[in-house]
Amino acid sequence: MSSEVFKDATRMSGGRASDEAIVAMEGVYKRFKDFEALKNINFQVGKQEVVVVIGPSGSGKSTLIRCINRLEEHDDGRIIVDGTELTTDVRNIQEIRKETGMVFQSFNLFPHLTVLANIALAPRQVRGMPKSEAEALARELLERVKIPEQADKFPAQLSGGQQQRVAIARSLAMKPKVMLFDEPTSALDPEMINEVLDAIKQLAQEGMTMVVVTHEMGFAKEVADRVVFMADGEIVEVGTPSEIFDNPKEERTQKFLAQIL
Amino acid sequence: MAADIAALLLAFQVLGGVVVGRLVGLARRKVSVLGAIPSIIWHPMLGSPAIALVLVTLMESTLEEWGGFLINFYMAIISIVLCFPLGVLLALGRRSSFPIIRLVTTTYIELIRGAPLFVLLLLAGVALEFFIPPSIAPDAIFRGVTVFTLFTAAYLAEIVRGGLQSIPKGQTEAGKALGLSTTKITYLITMPQALRNVIPAQIGQFISLFKDTTLAGAALNILDVLNVGTAITKQQDFLGQGLIYEALAFVALLFWVGSYVMSRESQRLEKRLGVGVR
Repeated sequence: MSSEVFKDATRMSGGRASDEAIVAMEGVYKRFKDFEALKNINFQVGKQEVVVVIGPSGSGKSTLIRCINRLEEHDDGRIIVDGTELTTDVRNIQEIRKETGMVFQSFNLFPHLTVLANIALAPRQVRGMPKSEAEALARELLERVKIPEQADKFPAQLSGGQQQRVAIARSLAMKPKVMLFDEPTSALDPEMINEVLDAIKQLAQEGMTMVVVTHEMGFAKEVADRVVFMADGEIVEVGTPSEIFDNPKEERTQKFLAQIL
Repeated sequence: MAADIAALLLAFQVLGGVVVGRLVGLARRKVSVLGAIPSIIWHPMLGSPAIALVLVTLMESTLEEWGGFLINFYMAIISIVLCFPLGVLLALGRRSSFPIIRLVTTTYIELIRGAPLFVLLLLAGVALEFFIPPSIAPDAIFRGVTVFTLFTAAYLAEIVRGGLQSIPKGQTEAGKALGLSTTKITYLITMPQALRNVIPAQIGQFISLFKDTTLAGAALNILDVLNVGTAITKQQDFLGQGLIYEALAFVALLFWVGSYVMSRESQRLEKRLGVGVR
């Protein structure tokens, strides 16, 4: 089913997505004790594709993307990221984490480091980039998220929106092949949501492959190539934004959309 | 004694390293892991006696020839410098994913914390005679320092472990998501924050260690400041005059001054490290 939808999405999004899958999940299950958080997840993300995952809380959206970079370990099935399968092999996990960036709901910036050091840390420590080069890269990325003047401040001195943009820049510093966003605007004051969404939109326009878990339906409609609706640990429906929002086929999707729109 | 000089030089080296680390840290306006450590020893008031100690030793005097407050200072400073890395390692060991390391460190910590310090000091005084001939047995001050180091390290380990547990899970996750190894996450992200959070508890432990050095005087028959103080009152001229109160009060005052300096320095350090942080 997913491959059909995938081709469909390719057509609908004007052929932006290529056939090459950056993330592929096959029959993935995740259990927390007796609770099945993910049930038989089959899911692919193509190159330069923007996939938005929506669904009620507790539906497994976050668990889904946290499995992609192994912050959660899946119990069954296969997850392949950029041609490398996630196994218990630590080297594989490290390889995959280098290629996937993640932005968290609660920012998770390092409070003891300056903004610049937050961004330069991973390129220096993981990629072995010289300090001057890493800092130049960090400044360039701060420019991109439009807060170059905050480089020498500490995270706590920034607003929530600014912190989240630093977090985006920090992930981008590793030049990831895919970006994962875990409810990036849920912890923000309303007036700061747009500045973060704009930064994410800009990334999408530049052709970044990404998976975004969000409650921002306007954003989903505007940016997504494909929308995935999840409920009770399952993927219920996949389609283009117009298919999901204007003409949902499944009853659970209809109910969810009726509640939030 | 050569061994003492070597021990002092080693301590001096460590001190020097820490001082340099701190200067570098200041220059970068951030805190290196070593830099967050017992900053009290770099304090001019506390650091200079340490250097004086080294000089005195180099002038070929022996530890046995010293007496009084210098001995308490010496034991406290050397123990603080040595117990810190040991405490951090024990804390990491207790959180290790290897069950054997966890078992060993947990056993060590619980055993040491379950024993009275005075008993351990007495034990160090007598037990070693069973294994080592008196001619080559380490002197009393060395034994004292060893006990203080091992004892305080166990307490410090629990303090540091508490600090590590107070760091939100999101910090580790962010590190993982960036591809950092577990070691680097600990060294660069969680440990610096944890050490900063537990400065007050750490300094409290060091102050306690500093004052406990008087126990070594009683347990190991070292001529420390307390023994000197009581010895004075037993001199012919003072006998029967009831001057013991004055002597003890003065000893207490000396320790109060030392503890107060540590406490103030700890507050200063917290303030400095608190810049830009919640």
